[in-house]
Amino acid sequence: MNREGAETFLRLAAEAELRGQLAPAPPPWAGSLGAGRIKVMVVGRALTAVGALDGGTVESILADLDLAVGVRQISGPPSRGLGRGVAGTVPPGILSRVTASATAVARQTAQIRFGPPGSLARAGRAARSQPAGITGSPEPAEPEPADDGPDRGAADRFVPVGLTVPFHDEGISGDLYLMSFAHTGSGARFIAVWGLYTPTRQLRLGLRHPDLIPFELFTVADDRGARYDLDFTPGDGPEWTSEISLRPTPPDDVRWLDVAAPLSPAVRIDLGQGGSPANGEPDVSEAKLSRGEHLLIMLAEWLLTVAPDFSHDLRRGLAAPSPGMLQAMTAALGDIIAALEAADVLSPLSPVPARLAALCASLRIGGHGIAAPPTDDLPERWLSLLAHYQRRKPDTASVRDGYAAAAAALPELDGIRLALLGLHNTEGMSYLHVLAQGMTAEQAGPLGVDLDFPLSVWLRDSGGRWHAARPAGWHGAGPRSREYAVRLRLVPPLPQSTTWVEVLAGGRSAEVRTTLPLRWGFPS
Amino acid sequence: MPCGQGRHIVRWEAGALRLPSHPDPEAELVLAALGGERARCVELAEAWGRHTEDLSVLAIGPRGPADEIAVSWDDVDAAAQGQRGGWIGYRPLPGGPGGGPMRLASPSIPTAARSQARRLQDVQDRERTARRRNDMLSLLALGYGFQVRLIGQVAQAYADRLDEATETATETVEAVDRVDGVDRVDGVDGVDGVTPALVAAIAGRLAPVAEEWLGIDPDQVVVSLHRGPGWGSVELTGRGQQRRLRVSLPPGWLARVWPAGLALTGRNLVVAVERAGWPDARVLALCAPGTEPVPLEVHASQPGPVSGGLEVRPSAADAPHWEV
Repeated sequence: MNREGAETFLRLAAEAELRGQLAPAPPPWAGSLGAGRIKVMVVGRALTAVGALDGGTVESILADLDLAVGVRQISGPPSRGLGRGVAGTVPPGILSRVTASATAVARQTAQIRFGPPGSLARAGRAARSQPAGITGSPEPAEPEPADDGPDRGAADRFVPVGLTVPFHDEGISGDLYLMSFAHTGSGARFIAVWGLYTPTRQLRLGLRHPDLIPFELFTVADDRGARYDLDFTPGDGPEWTSEISLRPTPPDDVRWLDVAAPLSPAVRIDLGQGGSPANGEPDVSEAKLSRGEHLLIMLAEWLLTVAPDFSHDLRRGLAAPSPGMLQAMTAALGDIIAALEAADVLSPLSPVPARLAALCASLRIGGHGIAAPPTDDLPERWLSLLAHYQRRKPDTASVRDGYAAAAAALPELDGIRLALLGLHNTEGMSYLHVLAQGMTAEQAGPLGVDLDFPLSVWLRDSGGRWHAARPAGWHGAGPRSREYAVRLRLVPPLPQSTTWVEVLAGGRSAEVRTTLPLRWGFPS
Repeated sequence: MPCGQGRHIVRWEAGALRLPSHPDPEAELVLAALGGERARCVELAEAWGRHTEDLSVLAIGPRGPADEIAVSWDDVDAAAQGQRGGWIGYRPLPGGPGGGPMRLASPSIPTAARSQARRLQDVQDRERTARRRNDMLSLLALGYGFQVRLIGQVAQAYADRLDEATETATETVEAVDRVDGVDRVDGVDGVDGVTPALVAAIAGRLAPVAEEWLGIDPDQVVVSLHRGPGWGSVELTGRGQQRRLRVSLPPGWLARVWPAGLALTGRNLVVAVERAGWPDARVLALCAPGTEPVPLEVHASQPGPVSGGLEVRPSAADAPHWEV
């Protein structure tokens, strides 16, 4: 890795940005200062993400750029320009201009990353819950070493449950659907979905306050007669998913649990079955991606999943209005690629930039600045998603609310171990629930890329269509734990006819595939 | 500059900032420490001293006479009093999109002590930022002539260190770590991480000069840092969009050539100063890329602000004009 090359690139990018802004008659594509600053910042974050720069250096370069521009604005634009004002002394293609308002771009990026304001408001209800992508320290994205701490151990146990526990209490009644059971070093918990069908329509429609549910009246006992209390951690999504922890933590070898709701018989949960992929052990194949390639693939998949959030029509055969906001947000792609090459984390011979260019072309995004010509050699799953977008009559049938029990532990990928804990359809969207061990919720990535979850996750349904999974929310198991319950949104949503899914999880070093049968449950 | 109830002369001479109106600034500082008033000139000299090795000066200061930064003492006062807070660039709010590091990821509930420590840290960060901003404004308010000399002084400081580092590396071959085609000199204090800032600083100032010299697009100028003996290299390669002016110059160019206004003299690119002097000097200059530099005797035909007086602030228009 060439850290000096990376810093030089970013400083030259800032230099070019300053020169462009100070031109006597800035070209119309120069955009506002904020647009250029955002671009420098995005490139900086990309370099931080691959470990080529530390966050402090990027902040320092941006602070200098801010001050340099600020002092020049005191007395208005200069009477004479610095050179032609077209970018600057940087490799060709760097910092091509964008026209969109930087503020709007930043706002849109944030919304895409964090979800619409409504979901944030709901997320705020959960004290221990965080929307995905709220990130912190810009430390380099070195793969985390294997954690030998208490979170990891042989006792990890993931069991698909797929049982409904009905409950009734003083006018409140509903169902608790248990998707899966997970027992790790951080404790034991169910991944669950709540449904209420009394007392009022309003309650059903929106006022689903968890305080209404009589958790304290639920009883849980194991095969040895030990009793447990329930700790409720509400989910952060639009639906009432939650994690229900058992206190104290049961022994590792507990065989079953009886869960009883008020005024209802106990439901026995057999914990002896374990997670069992349909085709046995997961398939593992070597990947050997460079840091730069891995980041670009994550960017590409981010692009694939946010495309439906824009109102423009991506279908083939129609007029292709330029997706302005998306274009503005992707204007730094060429610069990011050049920066990764300067940092020696991306080979000039890598096929990934050409694929990214092809993806942009398919999504009718111009102005990305990628020098590589588009290629036809796109991964099958990308093509599947593009075909979905370009279908003349895209799936219009609403996705029926439902939940599918599933559980499987995947081998470690780049320091992260994933356990699949169930699927959930609600309000026309689909979510995959996973437990991620070894994850650090610390890093800010370029654009909407979530570096805290540096894995590429896809699902292929039983009909052969691929669905991209991107983080939509998570919460940690504890202040010192590196274990997170992560909710991944599937794009497009999963049809209710799906009887099994193949899950593909990819990191830099390897890809893992496993097939899971689905047992769907539907709200009454 | 305004100082106390009057206006004082500040002079840069022989590589140092001088305060003719304050013959014993150290004594004044002692008095100030005992409760006396701090003279503004003395404060300015302190700020100058704080930034003579500050690479940010290279990133913020002017790129050439066409890039005059006009900061008035009123601007400095306004910034110091917070009357125009926020006008000096911007830093997005923490947590906002595109902002600095956000710290909301911890799933634990922040304790009161942690919050207090964070607030204290925020206050200290703001104070540091404000002081840096006020320092920089004061130094810029001195005018173009001082701005370029401060840049030269910073560049010279690092040129000396890099020379020392290169000598050390030559003597101890193991100290040079050639990785990915880049020479890295380790183990010498104060040079780690300097190269990117110097490359950007030279690039930002050479590109407009190159455009004036050859008509080349500033985008097509590629700069690297020359280390070791010799003056460097200047080559023109490619055609059309692939045309590049590849320039390798030592940091001393930014210390001795550019601040003196010598970079482009009589259609020649000056790459080094062989004999400094005023108004006559001898330089090494190229008439075209790919050629070897030749010594040229140059003469400053338009001296700087010789009119003097208390109302003079050296602007870009006062910069010397050199001719062969």
